[in-house]
Amino acid sequence: MELLELHNITKRYPGVTALDNVSISFREGEVHALVGENGAGKSTFIKTISGAVQPNEGEIVFDGVTYDHLTPQKSLELGISVVYQEMIQFEAMSVADNLFMSDGSDGGLFVNDGERNKKAAELLEKFQCHISPKTWIRELSMANRQIVEICKAILRKARVLILDEPTASITVEEQRRLFDVIKDLKKQGVTIIYISHRLDELFEICDRVSILRDGQYIKTIDIQDTDKQGLIKLMVGRELSENYPVKDNLPEEEVVLKIENLCGNGVKNISFELHKGEILGFAGLVGAGRTETMMLLYGAAPIESGIVSMNGETLSIRRPADAMKAGIGLIPEDRKWQGCFLDKPIYWNISISNIKTLCDGPFINSKKEAAQADLYGERMRIKAPDFRVNAGALSGGNQQKVVIAKSMASLPDILIFDEPTRGIDIGARYEIYQLMIDLTKEGKSILMVSSDMEELLGMSERIVVLHEGEQTGTIEKPDFSQERVLELASGIA
Amino acid sequence: MEQKTKKSFGQIVSNFSMPILLGLLVLIFSILSDKFFTPLNLTNILVQNVHIAICATGVFMIMVSGGCDLSIGYQMSVAAVLVAKLLSNGVMGVVPAILLGILICVALGCFNGVMSIALNSQPMIVTLGTMAIFQGISFLISGSKTYHNLPRSFMFLGQGKVFGVIPLNALIALIIIVIVGIILSRTHIGRKIYAVGDNPEAAKLAGLNVAKIKILVFTCAGILVGISAILLAARSGSADSNTGTGIEFTGIIACVLSGVALKGGEGTLWKAIVAVFILGVLSNGMQLINLGTYPQYIAKGIIMLASLYLSNKTAKAA
Repeated sequence: MELLELHNITKRYPGVTALDNVSISFREGEVHALVGENGAGKSTFIKTISGAVQPNEGEIVFDGVTYDHLTPQKSLELGISVVYQEMIQFEAMSVADNLFMSDGSDGGLFVNDGERNKKAAELLEKFQCHISPKTWIRELSMANRQIVEICKAILRKARVLILDEPTASITVEEQRRLFDVIKDLKKQGVTIIYISHRLDELFEICDRVSILRDGQYIKTIDIQDTDKQGLIKLMVGRELSENYPVKDNLPEEEVVLKIENLCGNGVKNISFELHKGEILGFAGLVGAGRTETMMLLYGAAPIESGIVSMNGETLSIRRPADAMKAGIGLIPEDRKWQGCFLDKPIYWNISISNIKTLCDGPFINSKKEAAQADLYGERMRIKAPDFRVNAGALSGGNQQKVVIAKSMASLPDILIFDEPTRGIDIGARYEIYQLMIDLTKEGKSILMVSSDMEELLGMSERIVVLHEGEQTGTIEKPDFSQERVLELASGIA
Repeated sequence: MEQKTKKSFGQIVSNFSMPILLGLLVLIFSILSDKFFTPLNLTNILVQNVHIAICATGVFMIMVSGGCDLSIGYQMSVAAVLVAKLLSNGVMGVVPAILLGILICVALGCFNGVMSIALNSQPMIVTLGTMAIFQGISFLISGSKTYHNLPRSFMFLGQGKVFGVIPLNALIALIIIVIVGIILSRTHIGRKIYAVGDNPEAAKLAGLNVAKIKILVFTCAGILVGISAILLAARSGSADSNTGTGIEFTGIIACVLSGVALKGGEGTLWKAIVAVFILGVLSNGMQLINLGTYPQYIAKGIIMLASLYLSNKTAKAA
């Protein structure tokens, strides 16, 4: 029997359609996996069910009743619970307090701790979770915190339980126990929606799987009818469109950057070489350690071990200033918070890293500063009425150009682009790509982290793939394929 | 076109809201009391507020860098009692005592900066802790005594006049404020201070040494606090452990009133200084119309809350 059906759900954000006419049905008592690449629309879909997002079109049918949207409250009332990857809990309160925080079971003014603890202990015992209900949440492991969240859902008499990447940060044994819990719930008739990047485990625990791709629903299949390769094919699906400017300059033989066994910041043993004029892509799922690796290289996180050498010379990088001095520039992942000073003018943003070189003595020479802004602003083709306008007033693409200009002003030889076109519209993307290629023609070399598969395959000349903090492979241009990248990124090759 | 002129008129008003407010207050008190707009009273307002203006300059630097310092009052107290004790006991000459007083504030300010970086904690909470330490130090030095009979040459700093008309302490304050103003608006150090306050994460990735800059700001503010302490002791001719206490709040109120962003990175020094005098005129005027000390506290608090409301509103509009 279908318990929860979503019909023709469409959710549009300014500039993007996150979900495009998606219809999926969930049966009572099944474990139903939801898979898709980064940005396929999984989280928007879950949020539609949990009421955090209201779709523009479509309807939701729960237990025979039709709703045009749900609110978080309504969703809870219906018995839909979500266990998010980032759990929101009362860290400095006991397990029992967390469990009974909002169930309204206390009739009187005073909390009956004895009763609460007893009930909590019984519930936890059911899940082979031998912790005291008096323990503070923040003393628990991730896995036990998850169990507490699941217990909370059961107390609310959840009929649909959504698990968002539940195995992302727990050990193998804990995973075992989690699967037992899931099987147990399934027997009781709870519908479980299971989201995971780890395709292997789906075959162990799920009944059916639905695939999303670029916000569109692809299909729902019984898990027995497919295998990992088949799933990956469905997740990737599309052929590459030729929307990338041609890079006709080949990288030179000369190695400008050599990384050997770099460790720290959650990544282990990263090794690669970057050639002059090359665009080297970095692929991986969310949390694979791509940005973390770049932060190490850039000195924004401490290197534990490993060698970074540039043009044959070993570097000692302790802070970003060291990296910049050596000739490494960063265009960070989060433009608004890491890249731009939004409420400061464009010229101010461009000159902040090298302001000292624009000074006569201690005083800023505003003519030199304006000239520098003009130079890089025009080279990066920043479209603004005036470079005295605040960066916050620009479009995403132009803000990104300001960040690139800022980085270029320090005259780097190597540029790290972390998600170069995230949140930027198509037209501006092409300009950014053209800029990147122009830079390589000037002899700069580029490291590019991207979650956009097309961009990775379209722009890179080689791709390093990471999986859970470790390097799983390097793909040469002739071997480029989405399947190959995804296999390495999922750690199954 | 018409809209544009209107807008720029609005901008002018908001840009000069501090002087306009000051002018209005002067006008109101001049009407309410015939003792207000006299050369004597206006000079009084000036000399009574110069040490606050210097302190507010320190507070301004710290706030622009994204910090906060609640211990400034007791830093002043430490410096004032130390210098007064040394001078009234005749242990030390005027010049070395003054230098020692400033130096001690530099050390205390630096301590604040290092602590807030080392503990990786909110500066407001850190300086709440160091405030207690400084308070203890001050009372240990003073033994709850008040030090009088300071040398004439020392008192001249706070009471003397240049060419018989210009109060010396006001002149010193003016020079300091101009220097700090130039550093903040025209030098690369000033630029970096704003950057660190505006967006510490972006500043770090832009290659700035955020910790170093923050410690530098706390330390430099110490210089200003030390000078302020000496001018205050010199003007009143005495010092005890309550000298200067509570001044940080006046400084913070003035900064917030003038539009310094609480998160840091924004603010204009001259506006903050005008705001100090707005508060000064307010308390002087209220005294002249016999409003008493306690209602003045209430008025100050209300102004603070009102300015928070206004700054929130403009932040949302922008």
